[in-house]
Amino acid sequence: MKLKGSYIAVVAAAAIVIAFPAFLGAYPLNVARSVMTYMALAISWDMLLRSGQISFGIAGLFGLGSYASALAVLRGGMNPFASVLFAAAFAALVAFALGFAILRLRAMYFSITTLALMEIFRIVMQNLHDFSGGPEGVVLPKIIFDGYSPALYWLCLGGLFLTIGVSWYFEKSKMHLALTAIRNDETSARSNGVNIFKYLLIAFVATSALQGMMGAIQVQSYGFTTPDTAFDANFLMLPMAMALLGGIHSTIGPMAGAVLLGIASEWLKLKIPYGHLVVYGVIIILVILFMPQGLFGLARKAMRNRRKAGANNE
Amino acid sequence: MKKALAIVAIVALAVPVFAQSGGTIKIGGTWPLGDITGKQGSMAAQQAVDEINAAGGILGRQLELIVVDDELKADKGAAAVEKLVTVDKVDVLMGGMASGVALGQIPAMKKYGKIVLATGAASYKVEEALGSDANWYFHLHPWDYNQGASYAQGWDEIQQKYSAVKIKKIFLAYEEGAFGKASWDATKTLFGAGGRYVVDGASFKSAALGGGDYGSMLEVAKEFKPDLFLWAGYDADALPMLEQAKAMRFTPKIYLGAPPGWPVGFGTSKLSENVMLYGMWAPSINEVSATSKKFYDGFVKKYKTEPATYFAPLSYSAVYIYADAVKLAGTTETQAVIKALEATKYASPLGQTISFTASNIIKHQGIKNQKILQWQNGRMEVIWPFESMTAKPVYPFPKWK
Amino acid sequence: MANKRNATLVVVLIIVAVAAILVWRPTVLINGIQAAGLYASIAIPMGLILGIVHIVNLAHGEFMMVAAYVTYMLCIATGIDPFLAMLPVALVTAVFGFVVYKLTIKQALKSPELNQLILTFGIGISLTQVANLIFTSQTRKISFDYVSASVDIGDLSFGVFKFVYIVIAVLMVVGLRLFLTRTTTGKAALAVGQNPRGAAIVGIDVDKTYGFVFALASALLGMMGAVFITTSSIFPAVGSPFTMKSFCLIAMAGIGNIPGILGASILLGVSENFLKAFRATRGWADIVFFVLIITVILGRSIKGKKA
Repeated sequence: MKLKGSYIAVVAAAAIVIAFPAFLGAYPLNVARSVMTYMALAISWDMLLRSGQISFGIAGLFGLGSYASALAVLRGGMNPFASVLFAAAFAALVAFALGFAILRLRAMYFSITTLALMEIFRIVMQNLHDFSGGPEGVVLPKIIFDGYSPALYWLCLGGLFLTIGVSWYFEKSKMHLALTAIRNDETSARSNGVNIFKYLLIAFVATSALQGMMGAIQVQSYGFTTPDTAFDANFLMLPMAMALLGGIHSTIGPMAGAVLLGIASEWLKLKIPYGHLVVYGVIIILVILFMPQGLFGLARKAMRNRRKAGANNE
Repeated sequence: MKKALAIVAIVALAVPVFAQSGGTIKIGGTWPLGDITGKQGSMAAQQAVDEINAAGGILGRQLELIVVDDELKADKGAAAVEKLVTVDKVDVLMGGMASGVALGQIPAMKKYGKIVLATGAASYKVEEALGSDANWYFHLHPWDYNQGASYAQGWDEIQQKYSAVKIKKIFLAYEEGAFGKASWDATKTLFGAGGRYVVDGASFKSAALGGGDYGSMLEVAKEFKPDLFLWAGYDADALPMLEQAKAMRFTPKIYLGAPPGWPVGFGTSKLSENVMLYGMWAPSINEVSATSKKFYDGFVKKYKTEPATYFAPLSYSAVYIYADAVKLAGTTETQAVIKALEATKYASPLGQTISFTASNIIKHQGIKNQKILQWQNGRMEVIWPFESMTAKPVYPFPKWK
Repeated sequence: MANKRNATLVVVLIIVAVAAILVWRPTVLINGIQAAGLYASIAIPMGLILGIVHIVNLAHGEFMMVAAYVTYMLCIATGIDPFLAMLPVALVTAVFGFVVYKLTIKQALKSPELNQLILTFGIGISLTQVANLIFTSQTRKISFDYVSASVDIGDLSFGVFKFVYIVIAVLMVVGLRLFLTRTTTGKAALAVGQNPRGAAIVGIDVDKTYGFVFALASALLGMMGAVFITTSSIFPAVGSPFTMKSFCLIAMAGIGNIPGILGASILLGVSENFLKAFRATRGWADIVFFVLIITVILGRSIKGKKA
């Protein structure tokens, strides 16, 4: 009964979000696209985090996807839609190859290595002048859907839905048990016969594909990319901050965090043209200090307290 | 879907209706407000709006400037355009600095076809993205290739006028990002062709991006023994590069920098003496241009600080150019104002009259030439073009003591 | 373990140095060592915090930026030299570091390291943006004649002032080693770094030690920031690139290995300048840094597996 209720809620929420273009103008749709892009990155980053691995490579794979898609269209004459799939596959392939080497690493050493790889991708794109356009980047001959706002919105939403779907699958399937076991106690997980490397590799490849796909959607929607835009450090730190503010190790937490920070940043900018980023930074500090479990963690705690209170009353 | 289309159509119809109805004439500006260029650009635009309003406005209506920060990001810049057009329903868009942001905004601009007065975006990639149909786009800032061509012309004329100045070998030090790379490409094609000059170059990592070591680059430059040493980087590179050049006893006859702005108080450093620079505006232009003086005095009075970047007078000009065109057209209707803008002849604070002519792809290019200036006694003096000259060049660059 | 690692580093360094001399580009060594000194002297205070408090301070570069602006204001107001300003600035940044620690980082010590990362990231944004509001993004630089001090050997002229950074880095390494092994406070700090719970049991005040180490590292960084303004322009984002660089250097040396940071810096500085010395490879100089880091980390993990 309860399960059914939550399914109805999800379907209703999805329907409302799909219908947004019917009652929202081009500006909110544009902001929504940006929020959704960050949301998908935050969720995909969290998926790997559930194994305890903190990746600093989000921006690297996002950028790699952007370039794979842009260059496939520009140099290979690929259809823009096909190029989005190609970018996801390419990012997955790169992650697969790299995974063999870097998934042995743990903690800070894994983070640093993924960060270094991101920088390497950027420097390569910046220096292959004839192929990748060098520091000035590449401009596509035309934008997907001719820049029609609702269509761009739905494309981005499609990418987000896919990410949420994969994340839910991770939560509901035995991936969840495996990743949680690795995070909580790797040694006992191993002795219980969990194939740690296999699950880490699946998670790394899947999240990289999603990040690459979002990069491709972004580049096709704006029609250009440069090394600085594609590998912007904001695509690294902001998804992490969003996931943490919302609540990590879940799908709903990063979503809440992305909505909170994404909308706060746009709203603050309009209210305080000069200096809004100070407030933005202070919000991050305050939330971490006073809500260390994130919004979702806070809600969970409140719910548990209420349930406990209810049980006491009985 | 149908409903969405209907709404888009209604919005599209509603915009001109709003524009025609009385009230204020709305100007939408996007600049990077966290950067000195965009901050002062938006401040100068506001100054122009206030001046025009104080003088009674345009067609009996007041001007209103609505500024949105583009945060130097393509997606934020695009969202800003969407907001200004669909929410604020502005009559005109202006502003801009970085080419990367402009590239992100162009799809949205194309969709609405509002008049745009661009104060930045120098990259030829932006022009490619615009295409030849964008007759609503008025680009005030010179394209990168315009700048290169104007320097070539400038050095030709300077060598003709001052026989002591002889340039054969040119060395370009360029920061490794988009700005430097574009300068290098333009310099190679414009100066390298025809065998008149010998051109060489080397890249460096700008201090603005965590670099700041110029040793290996200066070494190559010193070996090349250039007559003209030119660097394309940012204000953070200005003094450290001079200091390292001095330490390595690298003394070209002309030492020239082309950053978008200079550090606070660069002129007070001994090392700055006789350094040349490419630029668009300097306070010394107050002596040759009344508009420049009016702009400068107004800015200092209003904000208690000096305009430190040419984006300030450029943005100031954008407001006046639009206001003049609306006055001429007698309406804010797009096609009529485009017609009026095509007839622009604005004696700008940049010391030159701005009008719009065709560039490689677009029809409405404003300023095409830059200026060659020189630091003399702590002031930037214009040495070329000769019509806005404020001092004679000092040549050669002094050898280090 | 650390000693063995350092021995390997020394061997690699000698190979690089010989290679540089073989192709006879003395400037590779000169520029490389000058760059290395700067990297190391900024990374060492971060290494101290990471080794003892176990916090990755993503606002590290911004702390230095604050020190640089404090120095700049002091020098402009009083006309003193940045080297004289080192001590007062160190005092100011020590207090600043201590207050930031007490107000924020201390509250997050028990949280997962992810919280600490994002917290310090938020602190970094706030500091940069406050500086941007006060000083704008326009850069500032005071010029000093001694910065261009140079030496001529034959045809070769090069600047020598930047060797000051390698001197500072060596002083920091030696000073910290003496402090951590000879003084009571230092020994206590080292004990806390190795095993906070054990240290608490034997009666060391862990919280006080953390606060002290944070203040000490901030003071060192403050001195560094003071000297930094002699050769570099300052602007709100000036420190940010150094945070990641320092973090990478520490990872390369291994946590808790402060002399290793100096070695890693020299290796990187010289290799970078090696690539910069040739036309075809100049644009790729940045990549050395990251390739080396990955190689070292992976190499260590494979060796660790075997052992």
